Amino acid sequence: MTQVTYQILRTDGQGGAPHFQSYVVEIGENEAILTGLLKIRNEQDPTLAVRFSCRQEICGSCAMRVNGKSRLVCSALVGSETKTHNNVIRLEPMANQPVLKDLVVDQTPFWDRYRSVRPYLIPDPANPLPEGKESRMTPEQVEQFRETPRCIACGACYSACPAVGSDPDFLGPMALAKLYRFTVDPRDGGYHERLESIQNQKLWLCLRCNLCVEACPKDVRPAERIVDLKRLANQEVGVRERGSRHSVGFLTNIEEGGILNETKLARQSLGLFGMLGQMGKGIEMMRHGRSLKKHPPIQGVSEVKAIYADLNKPEDVKGRERPQGKGVKGGQS
Amino acid sequence: MTISHDVLVVGAGLAGQRAALQAFRSGVDVGVISKLHPLRSHSGAAQGGINAALDPKDSVKDHIYDTVKGSDYLADQDCVEILCKEAGPTVIEMEHMGTIFNRAPDGSLDRRAFGGASYNRTIYSADRTGLALLQGLYEEVGRDPRVRIYEEWDAIDLVVREGRVQGVVALQRKTGKIEGFAAKAVVIATGPAGRVYGKTTNSHESTGDGCSLAYRAGAYLKDMEFVQFHPTCLPHTSILITEGARGEGGILRNSKGERFMERYAPHFKELASRDVVSRAIVTEVKEGRGFPDGTVHLELMHLGKEKVESKLQEIVAYARTFAGIDPVVQGIPVFPAQHYMMGGVSTNSRAETNIPGLYAAGEAACVSVHGANRLGANSLLETLVYGKIAGQNAAEYAKKASASTLGPTDIDAATSVVHQILERKEGESPAKLRSELQSTMDELVGVYRHPDDLINAVTRVAQLKERYRSVVVADKSTVYNLNLMEAIELGHLLDLAEVIVTGALARTESRGAHVRTDYPKRDDAKWMKHTLAQITKEGPSISYLPVTVTEYQPKERAY
Repeated sequence: MTQVTYQILRTDGQGGAPHFQSYVVEIGENEAILTGLLKIRNEQDPTLAVRFSCRQEICGSCAMRVNGKSRLVCSALVGSETKTHNNVIRLEPMANQPVLKDLVVDQTPFWDRYRSVRPYLIPDPANPLPEGKESRMTPEQVEQFRETPRCIACGACYSACPAVGSDPDFLGPMALAKLYRFTVDPRDGGYHERLESIQNQKLWLCLRCNLCVEACPKDVRPAERIVDLKRLANQEVGVRERGSRHSVGFLTNIEEGGILNETKLARQSLGLFGMLGQMGKGIEMMRHGRSLKKHPPIQGVSEVKAIYADLNKPEDVKGRERPQGKGVKGGQS
Repeated sequence: MTISHDVLVVGAGLAGQRAALQAFRSGVDVGVISKLHPLRSHSGAAQGGINAALDPKDSVKDHIYDTVKGSDYLADQDCVEILCKEAGPTVIEMEHMGTIFNRAPDGSLDRRAFGGASYNRTIYSADRTGLALLQGLYEEVGRDPRVRIYEEWDAIDLVVREGRVQGVVALQRKTGKIEGFAAKAVVIATGPAGRVYGKTTNSHESTGDGCSLAYRAGAYLKDMEFVQFHPTCLPHTSILITEGARGEGGILRNSKGERFMERYAPHFKELASRDVVSRAIVTEVKEGRGFPDGTVHLELMHLGKEKVESKLQEIVAYARTFAGIDPVVQGIPVFPAQHYMMGGVSTNSRAETNIPGLYAAGEAACVSVHGANRLGANSLLETLVYGKIAGQNAAEYAKKASASTLGPTDIDAATSVVHQILERKEGESPAKLRSELQSTMDELVGVYRHPDDLINAVTRVAQLKERYRSVVVADKSTVYNLNLMEAIELGHLLDLAEVIVTGALARTESRGAHVRTDYPKRDDAKWMKHTLAQITKEGPSISYLPVTVTEYQPKERAY
């Protein structure tokens, strides 16, 4: 048992200014941070508001920011924080959602994005569900879901994501992971329309910062599924959106010369008209001695091409009868 | 203000959502109120699986027999028959809704062994079957926004007047406002009441609200003394380690390295029914063959890393996080903890209670399909089968019923009870009273029940109820006042605890999960009957109801 200081951001939900309040708790290092919160509620301050229920990482109620990082406090242990933060655990409500009171946020924006991806099976007229029997799905097809069925919708990824905070168009990690789960479902008839609906900023605003992967208590790895969706969307819908054109441009650029041709990449991503808008930036770059001329291919360009050839080799992908190649041609960045 | 629906479902776990879906499909207007977001419901914590005799080599009859035997012959056999016959179609329906189940190499639904079952008939989704079903059902319900779900509304009163149900009064956590939900029919689906105990696998929100509201409104509670203790839970936290772990081949050993279940259940061993395995573990530890921390070990090491980490992914994470144990290389220390209430709001096979217009389903209800001991993987099944039946019959009732008369006086009555608590300046802390209640139940009403302990428990619960009359909350605000909610929930826990201990003291036999040290044998001549409890001013009034036996006469139960 050790003495740990819980610094909790309190908000009364009735217009008062948020402020930190400190509580000292006797607690073991191997105990959950939530256990300390419950001790505070039961023994020191019953007015503290926090959502919690299962205390075993399955109901998804108790996500919040712990020393700045979005975590689920029923499975985040006291010792994981005290060692690095001088016996202080600073707790704040999740980000990117309005605070109702103390550590409780209004998750409406999170659920709205979830609902917008049509999170249910869309019937497939070409492949109706067998009457009175289960549909067949091989273990390999089940594998295609990756870890998405483990998602408990806690919202930690949503809180950690810098893109949802800055752009309302972006769907965010959880909603996209959910969309992925339906996209790869062999029972779903919405493959094309799902990918079509996100071949834009809803998907491509992902910065690939991986903070959602770090935040997810269930190892769902939303960022990796977003990469998959980008690849599938480019294959199925075509490279048409600025983000997707940029990613493919990046790839072809490197393949050609082993080095980035920035002028060409800008043209590929933005188109000629779009480039006009960037002329000021181009002039600025040249003024600072940056050459926009095409760089000659690097010396080892043949090796680069060999890597590409290897990556583009078709792989045996069992399961869904749809293009599932892991080739880089689709562009993933 | 009053909100109005034809059918109002209280609780949005599997039973509640299935009831809502069915009522909606039957063409009536449906509302669901839930104190949690539906995906936070305790149904999601169910791990092992859902039983269905889908394999051609299996049979519905065997499923019925296993369930009746598991119930120690207290289940109503006509209701068990419905449960088991509907199992196959129910699982297939859930699969069609999108539930992701584990698959056999041929693409069919994979099955695993489970306790008390004579055949591998447990369909599963790794060790998070509850979550998989809850996701599938929530997604299906969410397809149509006309099924209106009121999230984070706590039911605080069930209004029964003029010989029928009139609706519910509820409090919204976000704003503290209290509103009336007028309804022609109400379905209680509020799930477990495990927090009557401290050592429980149940979530903190499992406080039996709907069960107690129905009881206070005059509904019978049935068989509340039958409390299931799950054999394998982590020490300290009581976090559940699924029976699926033993279904996949896990074995139990005492500190001498003995596979002790061979002595208690020579044929089924670790896969005997839960009451049998829990008693065996308690006995081993009591007789000095437990580990120093008072546990036995559940070993999975011999199953191999790959199988353990894929099929038992969640419990591996739980053991690593919450016990610091890696099940791939070490035994998991386990001990029984409260897990499931076989009892609940008394219903018949149509999910009807004794109050016209009031229905109940899931763990909050008692049909009874589990009798004195529930078989693993039958509870998820029950939520869906009887949730659907409840929704169907509530809708049919609502179609014929006249409008509800729920109005301002009902809302005022419920509001004044809440205000009394809020305005009290000093008194008893809900956290302290709750903790005393929980330790009373842990210590005195456990796996083995001694008569003196039960008498003691009756007295202590009565004292706690008296002290509860002056419960006080420190939080006086209207926004997300959890302190107020826990005070209200504590009232539910106390009412239910009183019924549990009263029933346990009255039942002078041992059957299923109810084991009296002074009456160690089952007594069919005297006790082949359900306990019914009805509220009176003096506490629960106990009466009895015969058990429906169709095919299986009681015989000695051996595993």
